[in-house]
Amino acid sequence: MPELRTEEFQINMGPHHPSTHGVCRLLLTMDGEKVVEAVPYVGYLHRAIEKICENRTYHMCIPILDRFEYVTSMSCNYVFSLAAEKLARIEVPERAEYLRVIMLELNRIASHLIFVGTTAMDLGALTPFLYGLRERELIMDLFEMTCGQRLTYNYIRIGGVSRDIPPQFVPKCREAVRIIGGKLADYEGILNENPIWLARMKGIGYADPQQAIAWGVSGPVLRASGVKYDLRRDDPYSIYDKFNFDVAVRWNGDNYDRFLVRIDEIRQSLKIISQALDGLPEGETRAKVKARFKPPAGEVYVRIENSRGEMGVYLVSDGSEKPVRVKTRGGSYNQLQFLPEIVRGRGYLIADLVAIFATFDVIMPEVDR
Amino acid sequence: MTQQELTAYIQSSFEGKLTLLDTGRAEPMFEVRPDDLLEVARRLRDDLQLKFDYLCNMGASDTRERLEVVYSIASTTRRLRMDFKLVLGYENPAVESVTPVWPAANWYEREMNELFGIEVKDHPDMRPLLLPEDWDQGYPMLKNWDAPDFVRMPEL
Repeated sequence: MPELRTEEFQINMGPHHPSTHGVCRLLLTMDGEKVVEAVPYVGYLHRAIEKICENRTYHMCIPILDRFEYVTSMSCNYVFSLAAEKLARIEVPERAEYLRVIMLELNRIASHLIFVGTTAMDLGALTPFLYGLRERELIMDLFEMTCGQRLTYNYIRIGGVSRDIPPQFVPKCREAVRIIGGKLADYEGILNENPIWLARMKGIGYADPQQAIAWGVSGPVLRASGVKYDLRRDDPYSIYDKFNFDVAVRWNGDNYDRFLVRIDEIRQSLKIISQALDGLPEGETRAKVKARFKPPAGEVYVRIENSRGEMGVYLVSDGSEKPVRVKTRGGSYNQLQFLPEIVRGRGYLIADLVAIFATFDVIMPEVDR
Repeated sequence: MTQQELTAYIQSSFEGKLTLLDTGRAEPMFEVRPDDLLEVARRLRDDLQLKFDYLCNMGASDTRERLEVVYSIASTTRRLRMDFKLVLGYENPAVESVTPVWPAANWYEREMNELFGIEVKDHPDMRPLLLPEDWDQGYPMLKNWDAPDFVRMPEL
């Protein structure tokens, strides 16, 4: 009988694979069913956003950057406005800051709800996806009544926000906070007794904290590995120092903790929104900013805590109407370049890889830009 | 450590290696000579007062007079953040790779190489990142880059 021969082989996962959340190709080296190595190939969604921004005025950059990370467009609007305000030393009215925090936190919740839904769907559970989108709809309605848009908001502008909230916003928002807060136990209830979910989540995809920091990983992925690092607390921006909230942190660094940390974060965001609604002052919603906005020459890097980790903009001005350089930085970028380190040599199955990719919450437009 | 203390500390302990620039910005910016880059990066990471263990962002920019590479770093334990940059000419620009210090620089350097044509020495894995594999139209983020279907915004 001839001797059986085995060898490693390579297979492409993607670019069009439903669990890659966009268009990403993972070149897998397989040993039978086990993944030996996973190499990401990106760039399929490269739209040259940074080059386009160099060719636009500052105000025109904001709707372009909406497309940078479209699941949390508010953060994209905000981080660019913050950079421009720092360059031009603009004081933002207090009411505008409160509105910004409310919108940013609502957007964070909406993003985490999508995370819960898509992660469960990648592992074969469809119901949480319907649950997640049902609650997200409440937030979308709030955004729609404020700025008319449901995905790319163009709401936060240089110097403030584009318009004040309608009178029915505050009661509707309080109701949404109450409903979402009450539904979180349902998500945990439907998932945490599901043996398939637990088998793919518990103990899979361990991320070492020191290694994760060295690879620039941030946000919930880093906090699930026990690193209590949240820019809202550690490098405060806007008016986050006025609110009382905890930094969600978990210690095991596996898929399951990355899920739990995001559920905890939704609870904290609801807390921040309630406090902001209580303290919402009257007044102007936008500082006076010229239509021909020309910040003085200079450069600045600002960063905020987005739902996928640190989101930053490095902005260079030469005193003209167009920025010299807009370098964007998103959490997904570092998470995806860290992925091979987590997979290499651990003998995960492709189904485990799908779960790891999902709990990293990578979104491809943020990587490719 | 406050921002002023950090600036003073860096000025005293990195004398001659990191120079403070006055660029009229809200936060200070330092400049490093390309030859000193790796040594300075390593010391910034290993200094017990600073512990800059986290690379937030790095990228090049073309100011029409020169190329610049900016490194934004932070410390997750000391709650510090700083930026430094180095200046390159347009003739054969090249920098050392900082991946031995901060592995996070890996993709940023690949991106910088293909978009700006800056050579990164001793990079572990220099393949194109964002552009197609058969891209042959030069370095698109340079200011003088042009292509037949690239439309510039008219001067206002």
